[in-house]
Amino acid sequence: MAYTSPYVDPALYDVVYQKVRDDLPFYLDLAQRAGGPVLELGCGTGRVLLPTLAAGVAIEGLDLDGGMLDALRSKARARGLTARVYRGDMRDFTMPGRYRLITIPFRAFLHLQSTEEQLQSLHCAREHLEPGGLLALNVFYPSAQHLKSDDGVRRLAIDVPHPVTGHRVAVFDVSRYDIAQQQIVVEREIVEHDDRGPARATNVGFTLRWVYRWELELLLVTAGFGDVQIFGSFDRRPLQHDTDEMVVLARRK
Amino acid sequence: MTPLPSPYDDPIAYDLALERFAEDLPFWLEEARQTRGPVLEVTCGTGRVLLHLLASGVDVDGVDLHPRMVERLEAKAVARGLKPRVFLGDMRDFTTPRRYARVFIPFNGFAHCETTADQLACLQCCREHLEPGGALVIDMSYPEPDYWLDTREARVLEIETPHPETGDPVRMWDTRHKDRVAQMQHSLIEIEELDAAGQVARTHRSETRQRWVYRFELELLFRNAGFRRWRILGGCWTGARLAKDTDSLLSIAWKDG
Repeated sequence: MAYTSPYVDPALYDVVYQKVRDDLPFYLDLAQRAGGPVLELGCGTGRVLLPTLAAGVAIEGLDLDGGMLDALRSKARARGLTARVYRGDMRDFTMPGRYRLITIPFRAFLHLQSTEEQLQSLHCAREHLEPGGLLALNVFYPSAQHLKSDDGVRRLAIDVPHPVTGHRVAVFDVSRYDIAQQQIVVEREIVEHDDRGPARATNVGFTLRWVYRWELELLLVTAGFGDVQIFGSFDRRPLQHDTDEMVVLARRK
Repeated sequence: MTPLPSPYDDPIAYDLALERFAEDLPFWLEEARQTRGPVLEVTCGTGRVLLHLLASGVDVDGVDLHPRMVERLEAKAVARGLKPRVFLGDMRDFTTPRRYARVFIPFNGFAHCETTADQLACLQCCREHLEPGGALVIDMSYPEPDYWLDTREARVLEIETPHPETGDPVRMWDTRHKDRVAQMQHSLIEIEELDAAGQVARTHRSETRQRWVYRFELELLFRNAGFRRWRILGGCWTGARLAKDTDSLLSIAWKDG
């Protein structure tokens, strides 16, 4: 079954994810330390890219969705910034330059649906890194509790006020898990309220292929990376619990 | 505290609890019979699988790390008039003089590779011992959410079986500590021999560690060890596909012909 992409309405996407900020210091710090060109894969509407650009870092972006990039460009213009972002597929892209740092924030890596796609992307990222350059990404660790008890259950995933009107925006997810295929199919209903209550519902869907810790390390090593570090959070504490976020650094050998 | 011995230091106790486990034997025999060439069993232990295959006419060799396990295998073989060829060796780095049509790692033996480096070394070593066109077959438990969510560190009764001589109960208890993100299980194993009155007459205590592997992780390991074709199955030796509700991972990886 085909679902409408969650990226079809970039403005609504930004409303839904307005509160996600916990990753910004990590990626911003890496970009500033890189001291050279940075490439973000899956840059979307620029949630991470624009603050990085505003901090004076030479960052470029790649995304598969042209509408998301248009939204990014107009946000950049409104802030007096010039965004160098390109439409492209992270599995197979060609950029003229080479980078000190390539980032894949906000679990975008989980859009890759197979080992082949994961390896293609990592190879492609590796080709675009300078020798010794750094790859940084984050993905969730698949928690046994979620896999067991969230399967097929409708849950209120996100509940935020609209930044302009203040009206409630509620996001309901039904996630279906395939343990053997390591795959989650999410059916999402985004309900925008007005003064009287629910006013508009938008239905989207997406599929994520999760990875485990040793699997992810093997993927990176297979694609030609070394010095792999997998942390349990953006503050770089060790990965300990299956509810942790896997925050990953790897170096082009 | 002195660490406890490995369960493989006490083959008599091991056999009291596990010698009669037979659910997987038809699968391994059928796998062996479907191939024309010789078979190697890695982590053959006291010969639960190997002696069954040998007695059924299969040309099978074995490798195991633990001298006492192998001594017991050989003693059991002599009693049955069988002549096994078993080599002492580490599954990560062993050498036998022959090449095989099939290499088997049954019964969670592969889980004793505790790191990715151990796993790769083992797979490479097994691959080197295959004839062109031969295949490696691995059977192990699949670490499902239900397994990880069972966080009881209390003793779990794994097996209860009658003592082969007295008929009194033998119980194997497993006290498990699990690390989900490291994919590791630490087990305290207690094998109890009960007397006719139902009292514990003897307890054999040991400890061991197992590293579980996920499906796509195993496929990456096969790839990196030089295999180019493999199948992943589940369903406890039925040949069923690996599905949501399985707790068994059966994999077959072929060496190019």
